[in-house]
Amino acid sequence: MAKLVREKHTIDGVETVLYAAGQGEPLVFFHGAGTLGGLEFAETWTDRFRVIVPFHPGFGESGDDPTLTEPHDYLMHYLELFDALGLDKVNLVGLSFGGYLAAKFAVEHGHRIKKLVLAAPACMPDEKHPMVDILAVPAETLVPMLVSNFDVLKKYLPEKPDLNFIGDRYREATTFARLMWEHPLDFRLPRHLHRLKMPTLLVWGDEDRIVPIQQLETWKKYIPEAQSRTFKSGHLIHLESPEALEAIAKFLE
Amino acid sequence: MSGRLRFNAMHFMPYIYLPENHKDYKSLWVDFSNKNYDPEKGHELYNRYLSELVLADRLGFDAIVVNEHHNTVYSMMATPNVIAAALIPQTKNARICVWGVPPNFMLPNRLAEEYAILDVMSKGRLEIAFPLGTGMEYWAHPISPAQARERFRESLKIMLQAWSEDGPTTHYGKFYTYRFLNPWPRPYQRPHPPCYIVGSGSPETIEIAAELGFGYSSVFVPRKKAEELNATLRERSACYGHTMRPDQFPLLTYVYVAETQDEAEREYAIHLQRFFEDYARAAAYIAPPGYLSVDQLKIRAEGADKMHGGFDLDAISKSFFIAVGTPEKVANLLGEWGTQMGTNHFNNVVHVADMPYWKTVKNMTLFAEEVIPRLQAGGKEE
Repeated sequence: MAKLVREKHTIDGVETVLYAAGQGEPLVFFHGAGTLGGLEFAETWTDRFRVIVPFHPGFGESGDDPTLTEPHDYLMHYLELFDALGLDKVNLVGLSFGGYLAAKFAVEHGHRIKKLVLAAPACMPDEKHPMVDILAVPAETLVPMLVSNFDVLKKYLPEKPDLNFIGDRYREATTFARLMWEHPLDFRLPRHLHRLKMPTLLVWGDEDRIVPIQQLETWKKYIPEAQSRTFKSGHLIHLESPEALEAIAKFLE
Repeated sequence: MSGRLRFNAMHFMPYIYLPENHKDYKSLWVDFSNKNYDPEKGHELYNRYLSELVLADRLGFDAIVVNEHHNTVYSMMATPNVIAAALIPQTKNARICVWGVPPNFMLPNRLAEEYAILDVMSKGRLEIAFPLGTGMEYWAHPISPAQARERFRESLKIMLQAWSEDGPTTHYGKFYTYRFLNPWPRPYQRPHPPCYIVGSGSPETIEIAAELGFGYSSVFVPRKKAEELNATLRERSACYGHTMRPDQFPLLTYVYVAETQDEAEREYAIHLQRFFEDYARAAAYIAPPGYLSVDQLKIRAEGADKMHGGFDLDAISKSFFIAVGTPEKVANLLGEWGTQMGTNHFNNVVHVADMPYWKTVKNMTLFAEEVIPRLQAGGKEE
């Protein structure tokens, strides 16, 4: 298992920080609407893949760009980043909001994706089983909802109120609000998902309290060829389920 | 201070029938259910509050001030232009100040039209403030707080263009497209009614007032900070070639006047306490994502930490512009603050929280008959 190494790139004016390590085919991971919990989990993949974990603009260690105001701006950002890194074709794994971005990227640039993994992807309109609108839930309520085993998350939280921690979360929420406040669901998704012809795996935690596991059926309806796996986990599967990380690696091999 | 001073009567028109368990709610804004609103009681309150503001005109206040809030007991004026329209035919002399409608929650042409209607109806008595809208309002509207300032700028540009240039004109912007910007009627005052920005001191908002040459009034800002803001605005306005007049700095004060100091405090303290502790209680809704810069958020989070603790009229009176006491004391305080803040324009909140009718009438009457003449006389002596 190799330690991830920090790289900094300037992509269309945005300071873009990514962590990368390992040998093999490229595996790119898109994080969700917050970076609580860090990126170390991805090191488990470094024995089998060239793992690349970028921070989205406005999240974690990457810079801000307030002119990026819709999800499509992020697809363009990643098109440019992949070009800059010389990545012609990647395995793409996305979690939550990152799963939504990954699905959208693969819809539009399918030829750049070898295999696709969508873990508890967000933003799907589903009236019967709606996802939690994370912008409407106070932070102190939301954080415990992210996992089924709170111990997993606890070590990433400050013991007492910490202004910098509050500021970091507010910054990421700001970035997310810029993209999703007015339209938290993507009503175009269902009509576009049939374009996902690459091998696709849907992954869900059976105790997901943010995007309910019932949405797995909705996604399967639109991507009938996709495989699916569920694990004992809450929403943040990458932190909670080593089995899921292993299953993703197996699928991508 | 010199020249004639100006005194406004401001009212929030709160809904005062809080449920017994209201302390159980972290916020009486945004998600505090409207099942707690009884329209029968609301009807009585509107009649009462309107009569209080009509009385302000008869007592000789120079202006009546209304404003906008949503999803809350704090104010029943979700659309203050409707309130202003009800006041216009019942009042004769007072300026009608809608301070104001957040442009972000209206189509700019519609807001330009509504204000023009009020201005024409009142024969030029309208004054306007442009608030960004509190953070709380953004939870109630389908408008992103993260682009609020940018949208706000574009809205202002459209409205000022609509009022200042003969229509039709066009506007092709990021948020709005107007192929025929040509609102009827046009305002009575040319090119438009006096304009102010109201805010809680964000540098970004001060800059807008400076650039456009608008007045500025800070809200919920401690005294020292408010003084600094006025100084900053004077400096920044000069950079854009504007010279700020004293009347462009309306000073928001909370006033209560009675025959003796004891009586004033006894009659007022409980309502002011409820105003700050209950009616203004909004918890984390005060800062939706993107509404503040990260730096501003940290500054305010730190400040909020320090403000915890019980209500203390003395302490809060030292931080904010709260004048409670005999006519002489209230007049002296206002005079002092006017000098300190470089303004001759006092925007006085004459009713807070569940203050009953008799206290409101008493407060306004004593203020009009005993405080205003003292200050006007003082102004003439200089």
